[in-house]
Amino acid sequence: MSDLALEMTVNGRRVKRTVPPHQRLIDVLRDDLNLTGTKEGCGAGECGTCSVFVDGKLVKSCLMPAAKANGARIETIEGLAAPGDLTPVQKAFHKTGASQCGYCIPGMVMAATAALRANPEADLEEIKERMGGNICRCTGYTKIIEAVELARDVIAGRISADAFAEDAAVGSFIGSNVRRLDAPSKVAGRLRYAGDMVMPGMLHMQVLRSPHAHARIVSIDTSAAEVLEGVACVITAADVPGKDGFGVFVHDQPVMARGKVRYVGEAVAAVAAEDVLTARRALAQIRVVYEELPALFDAGEARKPGAPVLHDYAPDNVVKHIPIRKGDVDRGFAEADIIIEQTYQTQQVEHAYLEPEAGLAYVDHDDVVTVISPSQNITHHRHMLAKIIDRPINKVRFIMSPVGGGFGGKEDMIYQGMLALAAMKSGRPVRLVFTREESIIVTAKRHPADITYRMGLKKDGRITAISFSLLSDGGAYGLSTEGVMRKSAILSLGPYDIPNLTIDTVGVYTNNTPSGAFRTFGAMQSQFATECHLDIAAERLGLDAFEIRRINMMRDGASTHTQQVLGSVSIGRVLDVAEQASRWEHGPVGMRGPQRSDLGGDDTRAPCTLGARFRDGVGKTRQEVA
Amino acid sequence: MLTTDAYHMPATLDEALTLLATAPAGSRLVAGATDLLPWAREGRAGDVHLPALIDVTRIDEMSGVSIANGRVRFGANTVYQAFMTEPALARALPVMPHCAIWFADDQIREQATLAGNVVNASPAADGTPPLVAMNAVIECARRDATGTIVRRAVPIAEFLLGPGRTMLADGEIVTAITCDDMTGYGGAFEKVGQRRSLVIAVVNAAALVRTDRTGTRFEDVRLAIGGIGPVPLRLAEAEAMLRGQPVSAELIARASRFADDRIASRSRREYRRTVTRGFIAAVLENALADCGVPLPAARHTETADV
Repeated sequence: MSDLALEMTVNGRRVKRTVPPHQRLIDVLRDDLNLTGTKEGCGAGECGTCSVFVDGKLVKSCLMPAAKANGARIETIEGLAAPGDLTPVQKAFHKTGASQCGYCIPGMVMAATAALRANPEADLEEIKERMGGNICRCTGYTKIIEAVELARDVIAGRISADAFAEDAAVGSFIGSNVRRLDAPSKVAGRLRYAGDMVMPGMLHMQVLRSPHAHARIVSIDTSAAEVLEGVACVITAADVPGKDGFGVFVHDQPVMARGKVRYVGEAVAAVAAEDVLTARRALAQIRVVYEELPALFDAGEARKPGAPVLHDYAPDNVVKHIPIRKGDVDRGFAEADIIIEQTYQTQQVEHAYLEPEAGLAYVDHDDVVTVISPSQNITHHRHMLAKIIDRPINKVRFIMSPVGGGFGGKEDMIYQGMLALAAMKSGRPVRLVFTREESIIVTAKRHPADITYRMGLKKDGRITAISFSLLSDGGAYGLSTEGVMRKSAILSLGPYDIPNLTIDTVGVYTNNTPSGAFRTFGAMQSQFATECHLDIAAERLGLDAFEIRRINMMRDGASTHTQQVLGSVSIGRVLDVAEQASRWEHGPVGMRGPQRSDLGGDDTRAPCTLGARFRDGVGKTRQEVA
Repeated sequence: MLTTDAYHMPATLDEALTLLATAPAGSRLVAGATDLLPWAREGRAGDVHLPALIDVTRIDEMSGVSIANGRVRFGANTVYQAFMTEPALARALPVMPHCAIWFADDQIREQATLAGNVVNASPAADGTPPLVAMNAVIECARRDATGTIVRRAVPIAEFLLGPGRTMLADGEIVTAITCDDMTGYGGAFEKVGQRRSLVIAVVNAAALVRTDRTGTRFEDVRLAIGGIGPVPLRLAEAEAMLRGQPVSAELIARASRFADDRIASRSRREYRRTVTRGFIAAVLENALADCGVPLPAARHTETADV
C-alpha cells in the first residue's frame, strides 16, 4: 500500500500529512486535523453536512478522495471567521433561530456562504436552489432561508448589522424573538457531537449484524477475529455479566442477540480495534452459524393461531393492548342516521436525523462505566445498564452529548450497552459511529398502523358513536410500543366530544425492524384516520368540513374519552384561524365547481422550477427576432 | 467503504495509459469520484477493495474548451457546473445550463464530469439526452500492441450500448466530447424524479430549437428523451415533422405523441408515456421561450388523459 503525501492549505495554514490512499477529504479533515465542524451525515453525497471549499469551490468532502485535495486551498467552517468571531451569515443563522439540533448547520452555513459569494444579490428562489444540496430535518428550512436573506441584506448594506442583535424582550419572553444560547457554537462548527469526540487510546467499534429476520444462533466463532493485529476485543451476548435486557417499557431486547436473532440488522457481535478498517476486517472473520426460523412480517398474521412466536413471554405476540370504553356504542349506532365504515393504513417512517447514532464509552479511574451518547433518555439508560453490567448505580454514568436530531429515534439504548461492554473488556475508551445505512437498517421506525373505523352520525353531523380499532406492527422488540399504543388510544378520536365509543389499540411483535417513538408518539396515525373520516362524513352529509368539526368539537369543561375534565379547550379558535388563513371556501365538498377560489395566491407554494440563477439569461446572445 | 492500495494522479494521457495498462486487474479510472464512493457502501457494492485508482482529473490534455467549424470540443474533465458558469460553453450549448441545473446539486456539479456520466451509461443519466440531440461524438484513446496511442471518435448513439455498457474498450480512456455548435438555439430540459435535488430521473427530456428570423417557423429542432429505455432516444421523426413548419400549439401537441410507442422501460410504462408527452411539449415550448419567441398563449392546462 502506498500512502499519500498531502500538502494543503487549510484555513490559511499550510498542512502536511501522510494518509492511506483510500482516505476521503472528510477523513483527513476530521480524523487527522481534528476539524470536526465538517460533519458526516450520510457519507454518500446526499446531505451536504460535509461541505467545504476546495480552491474556492464548494464540494462534498465525503465524495472527494483526499488525493484530489493535494496542493489545494481548503476552507472549512472553522476557517470562515477568526476564533471567537462570526461571519454575517453565521450571525444571521444565530439571529433567526436557523440552528436547532445544529448538525446540518455547518454545511448549511457553508452552502449559504457559497450562494452569497456566487451571487451577493441572490433572491429567495436562487438561494433555495443553491442550497438544494443540503438537508435539514428540524427547521423545515424556513428559518435557514430567512437567515440567508438577512445576511445578504446586511452584507449589501441595505440593513444595519444591528439586525443581528437580539430583539429586546418586551414584558415577557413568551412571544419574543429570543436567540438560542447554543447557536454560536453550532453555526461556528465548534459544538462537538459524540462522533466528534476523541480520547487518548480510543478504540473504534464496528458491529456484526444479522442477515436473517428470524434465526436461531447455533454458534458464534470469534477466534479468528480476536487474534487479528489491532483488534482489542470482540464482544457477544456471552460478555454480559448481569441481567440482560432493555426497552423503554418491557425489557425484552438483549444488548446483542442472545440465542436468536429477531430482525435483519440486529447486533450479533462487535469488535473494538485500533481503527475502523481493522474492526471491519475483523468482522469479516467472525463465523456465525444460523438456523433459520419461520418469520413473521405482517401484523395481522402475528395474532393468528400457529403464528411463529418471537418472545417466549408473549405467546400471542401481543406487546400491548389498550382498550378504552365509554357510553353505550350499540345504542349510539342504533340512534345514528348514517354509519360510515373505512380502513386506513399508515407506513413505517425513518426519523433520518442528520446525526447518525454515535457514542463513546470508557471506564474512569474510579471504575465508573461512563457512556457519552446523544441518548434522549439517559437516566433510564443508566438504570438499565447498571443491571445489565451488574454494577451499582453509582458506578454507571451516562453523559448526554448534543443530540443531532432525535425526534424520538434516540430513546432506545440500542448501542450504548455494547460500548460499555467493550470499554470494560478492553480497558480503553471505545467509540462507535453508525453509518447512515446502519442507522436506517437498525434503529426504530414510526409505528405503521392498520385502522378500522366505524362512525355513526345524525343527519345534522352529530357523532353518536365510534368504534376504533388500530393494529400496529411493533417489530422485533417492544421499545416504546406500549406507550405509543397508549397515546394512540387516548388521542385517537381527536378533540371531539363523542358520547359512545370503543377504542382498541394493539401493538404486536413481528420480525420487521422494531417500531419506536417518533414525533406525536402514536397520535398521528390515529388522528390521520379520524380527520380523514370526518371529511368523508362531511361529504356524505353535505356539510362543510369545518362545520362538521365545530358541531362535534369539545368545549370548555368537556370531559375527554379518558374522563379528564378540560378547563379550557382551544379547538374552536384553532378552526377559526385555520379557516381564515387557508382562505377556505365555505361549503360542502362537491359544490365548488371546477374552479376553487381558495387555491393559489399568497402563502401557497408554486410548483418547482429550476434555473432561478439564469432566469435573466446565461450570458448568451439571444436570437434576434425581426 | 472503498479501499485501495494506490491512488494515482497522472499529469499526462501518456502516463495514464501506461498506468492503466500496468495496473493490477480490477483497478479503475476515476474522474469526479461522485458515483464511485457512494457505490462502495452497504446496500450497493458494500466494502470494495480496488487494487489501484487512476485519477484523470489532472491531465491537462483532457481539460479545456475549443469551438471551431461548427463543432464544440470540451475535455473529458469538464465538470457539470462549468456548463452553467463558463459563458463560452453556455452560449454554444444552450441546452446544457438547463440540464446541469437538474443534475445532482451545486457541490456535486463542481466535481462530477459529463464524460463520467456518459461512461457510467445509466439509462437515467441527465447528460446523455442533450448529447444525443447535439450529435455528440466521444473521443477515446488507448495504447495498441506496439505502444502507440490510438485515438478514435465514436458517435454517442453507437457509444452507448445499454445500462452500464459502452463501446469503451479495456485500457481505453475518454479524452473529450465534441458536439454541434448550437449557438443561437434555445435550449430546455425537463426531469422528474422523487424530489428536486439529488435524484435519479424517471424521465428526462432535452430540446434545442432555432426559428426563422420572424420567430414563427421552426428552422431546426433537436429532441431527445431519457429514462424510457436502455439508452436515450433521439426523436428524429418528431424533429422532421416540426422542421420548416409554422410554430403552433397544435403542432407541438402533435409532436408530443411521437414517443408514445417507444417507451421501453421495464416498469411504470403508462406513467412514463404520460410524462413524456407533457415533457416533449414543455421542452419545445420552453426552448422557444429560451430563444426569445415564447408561444403566444402559454400552455398551463392539465391534459384530461393524465
